[in-house]
Amino acid sequence: MTKVLLKDIRKRFGTVEVIRGVDLQIEDGEFVVFVGPSGCGKSTLLRLISGLEHISDGELHIGDRLVNEVPAAKRGVAMVFQSYALYPHLTVRDNMGFGLKIRKVPAKERARRVSEAAATLKLEPLLDRFPRQLSGGQRQRVAIGRAIVGNPEVFLFDEPLSNLDAELRVHMRSEIAALHQRLSTTMIYVTHDQIEAMTLADKIVVLREGKIEQVGSPHELYNEPGTIFVAQFIGSPKMNILPLFGGQPITHNSSVPATAASVGVRPEHLSLVAPSNTALRGKVRLAEYTGAVTLIHVELDGGQTCLAIHNQGIAPEIGAEVGLKTAPEHLHFFDNEGRTV
Amino acid sequence: MARSVSAPRLTLKTREMLEAWLFVSPTFIGFLIFFLGPLVAIFYYSTTEWNLLSQQATFVGLHNFQNALLENPDFWHVVRNSVIFALGLVPLNMALALSLALALSRPFFGVVFFRTIFFAPVITSAIAWAIVWKFMLQGEGGAVNQMLAWVGIDGPNWLREPNWAMAAVIVTRVIKMVGLNMILYIAALQSIPRDYEEAAKLEGASRLQIFRMITWPLLAPTTLVIMVLTTIGSFKVFDHIYQMTGGGPENGTLVLAFYIYQQGFKFFNVGYAAALALIMFAIVMALTLVQVMLRRREME
Repeated sequence: MTKVLLKDIRKRFGTVEVIRGVDLQIEDGEFVVFVGPSGCGKSTLLRLISGLEHISDGELHIGDRLVNEVPAAKRGVAMVFQSYALYPHLTVRDNMGFGLKIRKVPAKERARRVSEAAATLKLEPLLDRFPRQLSGGQRQRVAIGRAIVGNPEVFLFDEPLSNLDAELRVHMRSEIAALHQRLSTTMIYVTHDQIEAMTLADKIVVLREGKIEQVGSPHELYNEPGTIFVAQFIGSPKMNILPLFGGQPITHNSSVPATAASVGVRPEHLSLVAPSNTALRGKVRLAEYTGAVTLIHVELDGGQTCLAIHNQGIAPEIGAEVGLKTAPEHLHFFDNEGRTV
Repeated sequence: MARSVSAPRLTLKTREMLEAWLFVSPTFIGFLIFFLGPLVAIFYYSTTEWNLLSQQATFVGLHNFQNALLENPDFWHVVRNSVIFALGLVPLNMALALSLALALSRPFFGVVFFRTIFFAPVITSAIAWAIVWKFMLQGEGGAVNQMLAWVGIDGPNWLREPNWAMAAVIVTRVIKMVGLNMILYIAALQSIPRDYEEAAKLEGASRLQIFRMITWPLLAPTTLVIMVLTTIGSFKVFDHIYQMTGGGPENGTLVLAFYIYQQGFKFFNVGYAAALALIMFAIVMALTLVQVMLRRREME
């Protein structure tokens, strides 16, 4: 059983504290994604777990061991780097077998385990090639293969898909998901791409400025965001947030909590209606056609811009007066601090 | 209204080519006069017996080469000295350069100071450097022997004893030039992504294993360049020998470049000196090719 437990983990570089007290429990076999904007500390947190960085304060348990002082190689983790970190002077076979060679695994056993991993990842025809002879996706698979052969208890992925083009990213995403299903090993995955987070994770950890903003399943984070930050970070296009002062026509038929200062509604929950049918009105400023839907930017009478997804019929013209409507259950209310009320 | 445009006399491609030649021509002319010209001339001179004083060149065919390679015992003695100098200098220089680079490639407080200290001799005048070391290596009263005396060692007269003189010029030359190779190695080390080291560390590799299995192979192209350049440099060494030992004692440090100088400008045998220069060119070229081939085979 390989649980990972973080207790008040802190990391300081000089006087700057970049991880500011993280408490988290990752269950055995769980696929956890750390997500957040650049500089939020997600990669640092992953490096703390891997042992590539020293923990300044707090406790890190992998399985039932406290591993703060355990060297990286003995923590039972394997990491897939953003750059893949494939040794350019070694063949795919030697890259994959490198760790086993270091651990003095006999050549026969090494060959067997490399072949096994290569078969899992369909890498057999590439075993004698050098990394420079591979495409981006193939390199990515080799990097994963190198992690697999060591039979780690925990896989760590540091933005592994960010160097791939959009199409390949989607493909590799599904391969990683399939790999997790097959291996059922605990996986911790760092990304700044919330789509990746939503599609892969059992549990998403949203980080902000070195702290956990919210932990939950993709469904929970999407439907019950704890803060404006999470509400806007999860979901694409991001949630519209409108101030409540002076009365907001969107809340017309809803009961507004007393402490609410702003209201949020997702673009996909807004529908375009005739201006006479709603109190929330504005002018279309931009219409972005993506094929399946059109993203409409509406400038409300109050001056704020509101995004709405239009997926039926022809989108209204630029400058047209439109009305916006939503169901009360799709409204999210936030207080002055940005927390859900 | 359509404007009639007269076609230029030269095509765009021709004009661009002329412009390009215009920019390249100063360097190209300089190359022809100061590099290619002398190179061609030396082939001619090497087939003549030309005494600089008499200003008369007599064609002698390959006699100068025959003289050097088959008749003159000094030549092989000099080649032997050059080989000893190179064999001493190249490995010592490279090992020291790599060690310094490994120590100084990562940032730490004072790293720039240390890099500067080790690089400073490279930009110091070779003659000044040699003069200072000549004083420091004096038999009696030299700073080196005084320091040795403090620890109870009676140092030799470094530059006057044939066995020690060669060692002394090698070591002082290494100290002078090691900074250059150190900088090349530092640049190469810094261009190796940290991820490789971290990936290896995660797989349990020790620092020595990381160096042996990752860093050293990745440094191979730089090592080849350094090895070739240092070997060529060691065969061309002149100013250092000229100032420190003048080729002595007992011709113990008489190396090829200095011997060529002696023949050409001391004994005025320009034809013979030109032939020697071509032989040196051939030796250096052969050594370079061997090194390149060995490296290529190793990399394959």
